[in-house]
Amino acid sequence: MLAFILRRLIQAVFTIFGVMLLTFILFRAIPGDVSARYVNPKLGKAARDAWMERHRMNLPLVLNTAVHVQFWKPEFWNTQFFWHLRQSLTFEARSFKTDEKLTKIVAERAKYSLALTVPAMALGWLLALVVACVVAYFRGSWFDYLMTFLAVLGMCVPYLAYMIGVQWFMFNVKPTAAWGLRYPTNIYVPVAIAVIAGVGASVRFYRTVILDEVNRDYVRTAMAKGVPLPGVLFRHVLRNCMLPILTSLVTAIPFLIIGSLLLEQFFGIPGLGPLMLGSINDRDIPIVTNLTFLTAALYTLGLLLTDVLYAVFDPRIRLR
Amino acid sequence: MTISGAPGGADARSLWGDAARRLRRDKAAVACFAVVVLYALIAVVCPFVWSDWADSYDYDNINRPPSLTHPMGTDEFGRSVLQKTLLGASTSMTVGFMANIIAVPLGIVLGAVAGYYGGRLDDLIVWFYTTVASIPGLIRLIAIKFAFAETVLFANTPFEMDLGHGMSGVYIALGMMSWVGTCRLVRAEVMKIRELDYVLAARAVGTPSIVILFRHVVPNVLHIGIINFSLGFVGAISAEVMLSYLGLGVGTGIPSWGAMIDAAKMDLVVGRWWEITSAVAATFLIVLAWNIVGDRLRDALDPRLRTA
Repeated sequence: MLAFILRRLIQAVFTIFGVMLLTFILFRAIPGDVSARYVNPKLGKAARDAWMERHRMNLPLVLNTAVHVQFWKPEFWNTQFFWHLRQSLTFEARSFKTDEKLTKIVAERAKYSLALTVPAMALGWLLALVVACVVAYFRGSWFDYLMTFLAVLGMCVPYLAYMIGVQWFMFNVKPTAAWGLRYPTNIYVPVAIAVIAGVGASVRFYRTVILDEVNRDYVRTAMAKGVPLPGVLFRHVLRNCMLPILTSLVTAIPFLIIGSLLLEQFFGIPGLGPLMLGSINDRDIPIVTNLTFLTAALYTLGLLLTDVLYAVFDPRIRLR
Repeated sequence: MTISGAPGGADARSLWGDAARRLRRDKAAVACFAVVVLYALIAVVCPFVWSDWADSYDYDNINRPPSLTHPMGTDEFGRSVLQKTLLGASTSMTVGFMANIIAVPLGIVLGAVAGYYGGRLDDLIVWFYTTVASIPGLIRLIAIKFAFAETVLFANTPFEMDLGHGMSGVYIALGMMSWVGTCRLVRAEVMKIRELDYVLAARAVGTPSIVILFRHVVPNVLHIGIINFSLGFVGAISAEVMLSYLGLGVGTGIPSWGAMIDAAKMDLVVGRWWEITSAVAATFLIVLAWNIVGDRLRDALDPRLRTA
């Protein structure tokens, strides 16, 4: 057991290092010099150099080859890459644009993202699970076909079309609720969209998972000894379906934090989504890098946690 | 499992022949496949028919609702929305096709190599795809578009690709970011096939491992590639719509459903419904068709999923 957890932990460390490497390549190495966006070129080279030095953009990219391979000297490690690693792990980056600390910005904005994503995820999950159970209960009937058909139809409408459609509807019904957070209850509109747009795919996935279980021997045994069908479905089958369903929930964790990027942007909710998109437009590298790293790290840790929990509850996984 | 080319007998069927027979019997699959073919035809033919569409301004007829002369109305420059929608098929199909032409072979090769050779190489490839997969899809896509912003490939040659603004940036970004699923499935499947007797036999007669892998093993996982190709199309079409909304799409001047839906956020309020309607309808139909084709392909090609 301990060996399994340790092995998974080492894997997670490697993955997190990989994410830092990938974000470094994507955001620091490829885009090159972004100073022109923040320092007016008319101020001359001195101003630009000062800005570069302040943000440590003048340092060598990966290793300081000026001191060759004298890795015992601290300046050998004084490079953009190692500052990037340090900033990623300590979250002490500052925005190029506002010079605010990342932790402060995230603390201010995360509550709006969470206010949207937590209810959306909880409601969506509950609704999809209930519908999937009912559909699985009536499997093979016209009701099953109708609901599966509706789920597929729902999946095929572009997300953007849902947002535009619902916003237009709200605009006609109650214009103040169509944009912004002037009234806190406005949050229900994007929550509803997230639930409606996501429920089709979830229902279809959960239905497949449940039907996989329904054909197993223990279900036949339970039926044979006279357990009523709802009892079999909701007590026995559902419990065994939890593994893939929980995994699908954990993989949604990054969206809790980064928010529904598009929804927040579209409905003018000042969460982390618009921050990310705005920072991309402004080439605000520290913010983009660290937000990406934050979501990836949370995702990795979430998967690690579920794997460990599975191993605790299911001995077959431990031995693999 | 029967392998294609197995010596004949009365009921010897290859996997592909069997799958084709199953698909032909399935009316929904045939209908959806016909829709896909129709879209592909539209995508190929329309750019030739209306090659001057982008400049066909008609300022006397801007923003007209549907009429007999313009069946789906006109846009803000007086151009036909029906033509725009049909030309948009070309953009969507190109993005979907090119993205998957990059992603699927990449996934198959990486997955096959990892699964067959194992060891350090496997560790490296698994680490690589776990890392890529740990960044959520949309952010991954935005990130690579961000990195591409000022990149121009093959500058000053006939093959010039402006990754920051053109269509090529969208499909290259999509292709580079969506191979993980294929890779993971192919790796798992190759690890199973590696242990089969025919691979051992090939090894025993001294076939080089690279030949065993690409000649004898990979053909048996190609069905995973085909399934992921059709499902990846759905992802690419939806991603194009989202990227357009974020201003990271195929760029102005190229008719695209994403840009049309995005433009409607201002249009609907003033009652111009025809542009979003035709774009959503076009997107909806092709996504539905690819979804069903992909599902049926999976049922037909992956015998383990069949219920006895």
